Amino acid sequence: MRYLLLKKENFNDFISALAQIEKVVAPVAAGYKNFSFREVKSGKEISVKYIPTILPPKKYFMPQKEKLIEFNKAESLFDAVLEYEKMIIFGVHTCDLAGIQCLDMVFSDKPKDANYLGRKNKLIIIGLECNDYCDEYASCKVVDNHIPNGGYDLFFTELNDSFIVHVNTGLGEEIVEKTRLLVPAEQKHLNELEDVRARKREIFKDEVNVKHAELAGLFDKAFDSKVWDDLDKRCVACGNCTNVCPTCYCFDILDNINLDFNTGDRTRGWDSCQTEPFAKVAGGENFRKTRGARQRHRYFRKFKYPVERYSRYFCTGCGRCTRTCMAKISLKETINALAAEQKK
Amino acid sequence: MKPKVAFFDFTCCEGCQLQMANFGETLLEILKLVDVVTFREVMSERSEDYDIAIIEGSITTEHDVERIKKIREKAKVVIAYGSCATIGGINGMKNKFPLDEIKEYVYKDGAKYFPTILTRPVHQVVKVDYFINCCPVYPPEIVKVLKAALQGIPYEAPDYAVCVECKLNENVCMYDKGITCLGPVTKAGCNSWCINNGNICYGCRGMVSNPAKTGQMDILEKYKIPLDWVVNKVDMYNKPRELEEEKPKK
Repeated sequence: MRYLLLKKENFNDFISALAQIEKVVAPVAAGYKNFSFREVKSGKEISVKYIPTILPPKKYFMPQKEKLIEFNKAESLFDAVLEYEKMIIFGVHTCDLAGIQCLDMVFSDKPKDANYLGRKNKLIIIGLECNDYCDEYASCKVVDNHIPNGGYDLFFTELNDSFIVHVNTGLGEEIVEKTRLLVPAEQKHLNELEDVRARKREIFKDEVNVKHAELAGLFDKAFDSKVWDDLDKRCVACGNCTNVCPTCYCFDILDNINLDFNTGDRTRGWDSCQTEPFAKVAGGENFRKTRGARQRHRYFRKFKYPVERYSRYFCTGCGRCTRTCMAKISLKETINALAAEQKK
Repeated sequence: MKPKVAFFDFTCCEGCQLQMANFGETLLEILKLVDVVTFREVMSERSEDYDIAIIEGSITTEHDVERIKKIREKAKVVIAYGSCATIGGINGMKNKFPLDEIKEYVYKDGAKYFPTILTRPVHQVVKVDYFINCCPVYPPEIVKVLKAALQGIPYEAPDYAVCVECKLNENVCMYDKGITCLGPVTKAGCNSWCINNGNICYGCRGMVSNPAKTGQMDILEKYKIPLDWVVNKVDMYNKPRELEEEKPKK
């Protein structure tokens, strides 16, 4: 497609213009080095420089609680429900774009998830490039997510006095048309973008002692590793790592009946493989009793199982799991420990 | 015939019953389903004939023990209601001191008129069918438990940390703010009510069934929190957990 330019002096007007089109959500400072995607009305509310938000933009694609069905027992009615809101998500980093791509793969797989796919169509995604590392927890290079790989309608990269904007879809073109603030980029801007990328190739290095292609192999031999025993002692099963993960999509479904004991709904909500009841079944049997086994499962769901099924790592390198861990469990350290163990 | 419901209070502040009185429109819906026959806080009538006994408060005297046993005999269903009834609550702080000493401290010369025993939650004295947690009780959980009780199906509060719900609500972690919070060891089910409103978790729902000892110590070390601080915080609501081995009597 094509590259356009937004002068920084027009940034606030651009966001205000977006807010005229649809509800706009963007990263907002929440205090104590935390950020959160929230509704904004103007550009001034947005933190353009931010580290990954507490929850990834996943929350707009698969809400924490989502009604699937409404029922009426007396009338034997079961109506499928799709609740959605049109929205423009501004400022999605490349790690989170990758996260959304992973969710797309999962929910497009058979059986297709009508709720996810129906809602996804209503969301416009505007990406935002990281010109430098957000912090020491990120590991986006080793999973190849430090540079844009699609998954957006528009994509912003900050240059000296402007943003260069890649227009990637028809929806993106519509935004350009409606906001009327983007002008064609000149060759010097394209050169500036190339400089940004060249600088990034210098800054971003593999964050772990394992190459991209070798990560899957590492986990092929990791099932009986001692590393999981160490995590078993440290993990407190608070579920933070999975709840903040942009690619964890496990959910639980519950039927709720109203106090009339006739009408009600079927609702799904995020679930976490790290919690005690997750793998517990009738009779009290638990398939993953220990926290170590549950941590291993989490890692395998990022680096092994999705590779076998979707040929893609489901770790986006955003670093959220490490950043949020109550017990200092670090994704980079875990991978390095597995690598060190296998070298022996 | 609508099931007859009776409210009883033991050692407590009656704030949990106030939650029920203050329930608003939901209370009207509940009253379509049950007949309230005893509820000292809101009505003068009382009856000894009831199906469901909702118990607020902890058991702290021999008299309480006799009284709760009689209620258990009469009621088909017993619901422990609020932190005092479910985990002992703040009345349990008494258990940290020798009973005679703490009695003297509180009642001075009148101490001899107030015989006392170790604070216990209701289930440590009689069998309890349902638990409604929190201090005060969390209104959506009242509804959930009543629905389960009226259908005769079990209700289980989630056996994972408050952190799970707190994270889903996208709160900034209290530990990031430099504040000690009991979320990591406390049972969820309150939708991180306190943290959503800027307060810490005080552990009023009781602890998760399988807290990670070594992992929790790591957290204290990471945030440089002395162990006794946390123990004190946990004990504020959860001291009677130490009596848990004493199995509930029939």
